[in-house]
Amino acid sequence: MGHDIVIRVEGLWKRYGLPVPAAVRSAAAFLRGNRDSHDGDGPWALQEVNLEVRRGETVGIIGRNGAGKSTLLKVLAGVSAPTRGRVEVRGRVFPMIELNAGLHMELTGRENIRLLGAIMGLSRREIESKIPEIQDFCELGEWFDKPVRTYSSGMLARLGFGVAVNVESDIILIDETFAVGDLKFQNKSLARVKEMRESGATVLLVSHSLDTLQFVAARGVLLERGRVVAGGSSRETINAYETLVFRSEQERLQHKVRNRISSQEVMIHHARIVGDGGETITEVRAGNPFGVEVDLSIGRELERPLFSLGIVNAAGILCMWNISEEDGFTRPETGGRCRVRAWYESNHLATGAYEVHFAVRDASSFETLERIAGAASFAVIGPRRSRGVVAELCRWDVVPVGPGT
Amino acid sequence: MSKAAYINLSPAGTPFSRFVNLLWALAMRDLTGKYRRSALGLWWAFIQPLVLMLVFSMLRGFVNIPSDGLPYILFSYAALVPWTFFANSLSSCGPSIIDNAEVIKKIALPREVFPLAGITSAFFDFLMSGILLAGMMVWYKVPVGWSLVWLPVLVALAAAVAFSIGMLVAGLGTFRKDFIFAVPFLVQVWLFVTPVIYPISSVPDRWYFLYLLNPMVGVIEGFRTVLLKASPPPTEPLLASVAVTAVLLAVSWPTFRRLSAYFADVL
Repeated sequence: MGHDIVIRVEGLWKRYGLPVPAAVRSAAAFLRGNRDSHDGDGPWALQEVNLEVRRGETVGIIGRNGAGKSTLLKVLAGVSAPTRGRVEVRGRVFPMIELNAGLHMELTGRENIRLLGAIMGLSRREIESKIPEIQDFCELGEWFDKPVRTYSSGMLARLGFGVAVNVESDIILIDETFAVGDLKFQNKSLARVKEMRESGATVLLVSHSLDTLQFVAARGVLLERGRVVAGGSSRETINAYETLVFRSEQERLQHKVRNRISSQEVMIHHARIVGDGGETITEVRAGNPFGVEVDLSIGRELERPLFSLGIVNAAGILCMWNISEEDGFTRPETGGRCRVRAWYESNHLATGAYEVHFAVRDASSFETLERIAGAASFAVIGPRRSRGVVAELCRWDVVPVGPGT
Repeated sequence: MSKAAYINLSPAGTPFSRFVNLLWALAMRDLTGKYRRSALGLWWAFIQPLVLMLVFSMLRGFVNIPSDGLPYILFSYAALVPWTFFANSLSSCGPSIIDNAEVIKKIALPREVFPLAGITSAFFDFLMSGILLAGMMVWYKVPVGWSLVWLPVLVALAAAVAFSIGMLVAGLGTFRKDFIFAVPFLVQVWLFVTPVIYPISSVPDRWYFLYLLNPMVGVIEGFRTVLLKASPPPTEPLLASVAVTAVLLAVSWPTFRRLSAYFADVL
């Protein structure tokens, strides 16, 4: 409590649009002749959001598209009114939300900077004193005095960002602005954010770049369908976010047979992922063993049955491909109703969503009897960030090396 | 259900100087942006009332319009200059919110600044056309006197009428564009119920008090009296105009404020 808290959000609900009294709305609906429509009430963009941010904190707001991140920033900026609840902000709020707001295409870069400065609340003297610094920051060169309609989109964004980072404020709201410019410009921008933070500013940022969030923000808040579903350190929050994404990807992949080649001689009844105790699971903890079971009927005796299993991640990359014979499993003359079981004793899969491809062949005739993509799906969930295809810790060391060696 | 509230506890809100600075910057943007790629630039400002004046002078060739004993060109132009200021102000207010959507959606500003900026840039056009008017007055050797000190009051009143109606149009027009589309018709009708091309003395007595409810009557009649007759504006129309404008502002400003909280939602 006290003056240390610069943002306090209590029970915030937000629905877009003008709140029209129910009586007026039903009257309007009556006039239009559709008495039983309730389309006047849009969906809630934010529901029961509670949040406290202290001075000097950097908080990353994470969530999928449409989770309410930008809405939250808009409400905090005072741009959009809360529908219910209370929002308290202490200090000057400066929203760096898509910064080419208010640029006029016919004006030059310099003239636009004067305009943007005024919009952002700088006095004319402040603007004039900052123009050299901004000019330097934007790296526009001779384009600085040309009409902005001739600019590329990257140049436009740099111009806006150049003004924004030179505005001093107590609370800074950043929405997806780091994707501007090349890597060098991005680093420069991040350095400015760091400077502002060190001077005591509170920063709230939304970014789809989880790496940026992880390194810039100390704290994270995860929004899902307008609600705060997780919070904590930025790493914990990012992890919760990835878990959320993997689960939904897994759901999307579930029972979605994408591609099937069948000879009508093999019938797959069911495929599932099993855990340690033989139970059906949809989620595997990173590093834990798991198995795949496929129930099938084979219409004829196969001389040399050959089963293969592929594990494909959400990006479509084949992560593993196992063939029963190569793994040392042979079983001649198989037919009728049976269950194929494969057990992955050591699991090095990175966190993410996966699907299982399965195929049955007869090695003697080399016929493909059944090949099915997306027989089952699962998510690998764990505390580590999803990077690469396999996850394995490595041992790090830094050894001092003498100048002569 | 708790009441919705957004509270900024910072000591200073928007200081007046910041507001003025922003107003100036927006008006300059509108002006320079509008005329940058035109050859005539600000000179367009007096082409508009000039053309109207020529049209009405031709009209007078067919129809007998009294002009209180003044040269009709001067009589009509002295009214068309402030009228054009009013009409341009009003039509720039309407779309001012939609045109500035990118700013309004992102930064919390007092939203009144956008219609006001429209009026401010219309004011510069007004100054330009005023130069021609002054030239005509010299040409016709119109005597002027101390009554000219009324001019700023009349300009402010015209701006206030435009602002009050303009805020309503801008506020409602953000939600339903029909309000903005209606403005040109409104301005056209309004021109004919205002003593611009005819003198107020042509208005029948039984309609006179109803006629005074039009706040532009006091403004236009005031302009003409101050400029061409070198006397203070007629009291009755002026007071009526001030009173009606005050009522209009009392209705439209709070309405605009209330609506403005949701502009960002619908833009």
